[in-house]
Amino acid sequence: MTTLSCRHVGKVWPGAGGLSVTALSDVDLTVESGEFVAILGPSGCGKSTLLELIAGLEPLSSGRIAIDGKSVSGPAPGVVMVFQDHSLFPWLSVKDNVGFGLAMKKVPKPERERRVARLLERVRLSKFANHRPHQLSGGMKQRVAIARALVESPEFIMMDEPFAALDFQTRALMQRFLLEVWLEFKPTIIFVTHHIDEAVLLADRVVVMSAGPGRIIEEVRINLPRPRRMTDPGFNDFRARLTETLEREVMRAHVEDELRLVSHAA
Amino acid sequence: MTDRSGTLERIGAPVAQPQAPEALASWEKGVLKAFIPWVVVIAIWEIAAANGWSGAVLFPPPSSFLRYALESDFRVGFGGDAMPIPVAIVVSALRVLVGLAIGFAAAIATGILISASGAFADMVMPLVRGLAPIAPIAWIPLGIMLFGIGNPTAIFVVFMGVYFILTISTVAAVNAVDQRLIKTARSYGASRTQVWTRVIFPAVLPQVFTMLRINFFAAWMAVLAAEMVGVKNGLGMMIILGREMFNTKLILLGMCMVGATGYLVDALLVQIQRRILWWQPAP
Repeated sequence: MTTLSCRHVGKVWPGAGGLSVTALSDVDLTVESGEFVAILGPSGCGKSTLLELIAGLEPLSSGRIAIDGKSVSGPAPGVVMVFQDHSLFPWLSVKDNVGFGLAMKKVPKPERERRVARLLERVRLSKFANHRPHQLSGGMKQRVAIARALVESPEFIMMDEPFAALDFQTRALMQRFLLEVWLEFKPTIIFVTHHIDEAVLLADRVVVMSAGPGRIIEEVRINLPRPRRMTDPGFNDFRARLTETLEREVMRAHVEDELRLVSHAA
Repeated sequence: MTDRSGTLERIGAPVAQPQAPEALASWEKGVLKAFIPWVVVIAIWEIAAANGWSGAVLFPPPSSFLRYALESDFRVGFGGDAMPIPVAIVVSALRVLVGLAIGFAAAIATGILISASGAFADMVMPLVRGLAPIAPIAWIPLGIMLFGIGNPTAIFVVFMGVYFILTISTVAAVNAVDQRLIKTARSYGASRTQVWTRVIFPAVLPQVFTMLRINFFAAWMAVLAAEMVGVKNGLGMMIILGREMFNTKLILLGMCMVGATGYLVDALLVQIQRRILWWQPAP
């Protein structure tokens, strides 16, 4: 059992001219092994920041993040990141992109090639092993990015709006594909999105965050059976509940922004 | 799960295949298009000269100066200074290419050091910024004082002409590297050194190389100017020799060779960009 725990996590970005920005404040979150958690929130609520803190890519300002009781203090081997724009290295072939992490860790070449070939087979991109990222479609690029994550046999995959740049159909196919590999490889997935339907469709649990400063305002367990469809009975209830929470939050943030502007102007 | 294969097949076909079959045809079309204006201009020029419309002595047409090259056995100059034209072309082209190559490598190394170390940046960056605006040609007198006349001076002039500007360009390119690529690399276990060598270094190459191409013409002019004033061979010398002998055929022949060689070296740089830095289309 690998448990991720965030306790009173805060993050302050130093701003220009001494104006610091509080991105996260007092975030508490526990994620169990094999869980699929979606983090939902308006833009600017610090959900991407939270992922980067968990992945050890940025230092915390306060609080503690621990995996199995061990504090996160830098990128950990079992925690990998998948970004919205897939972030493939344009100068590497598909197979070298997938094998990037293994090469960094000096995994011997024969083993690396074997593991990469197996994953490419799984994501059905074997034929494109020697292609370059710019020769692939958006969905294929994101499959390469997912293969690059899975080849590490990670315990945690952090996904930062991975499908946001894809068109509607590709997005639906990729969501189904992600669930397939999740069920097969059973990593713990923390999936950031601002898309309510996507969160309800994919996640075991949806965590709703508020903006300015980012904090968790609601957690909803999605106890719908899988495979889910957006037309399932019950789907609408979750959608309505999350929409309401999110709308209230966006309105509040908007009003606060306006008030701040007014007080600045005065 | 039954339609899994179907799902994946539909996720997307490749958007671009390398080496489209019509690539050659469009390339040929491009060459043809580039030649037509020249054919027109040269035809008018030849007709004008044949009818005595303009001073054929001052502006001898290609038929005249190319015949001159043929008659002089593709050699220019006298005695010990005499040099076959092909050698002059190769000498000038090599000088600029060697200078560019050394300048490019040194600028990338310096730029990366500047970006990696704040202390080094504080020490070096003001110097680089101060020296960058000095035109390549302005380095010629100093080069001749330092190295005398010969290849080192020409290479020095090209190097100084591109090194500082490419260093600034490297620093800017490092700052512009997509942070998500760096974060991805770190998340996949790259050490700080590996981030520099495996991510930042390849990521900055295309932008710095584009800058190199933009600065090639200035470097090319500097080599010719160096050859005109001091380095006594190459294409620059050919033109200045023509002036000294009041031989307009030689001047125009030299200019023609300068243009053609510059064009070919630039085309070579484009090919390097396309084949080695293929992940960013050449502008």
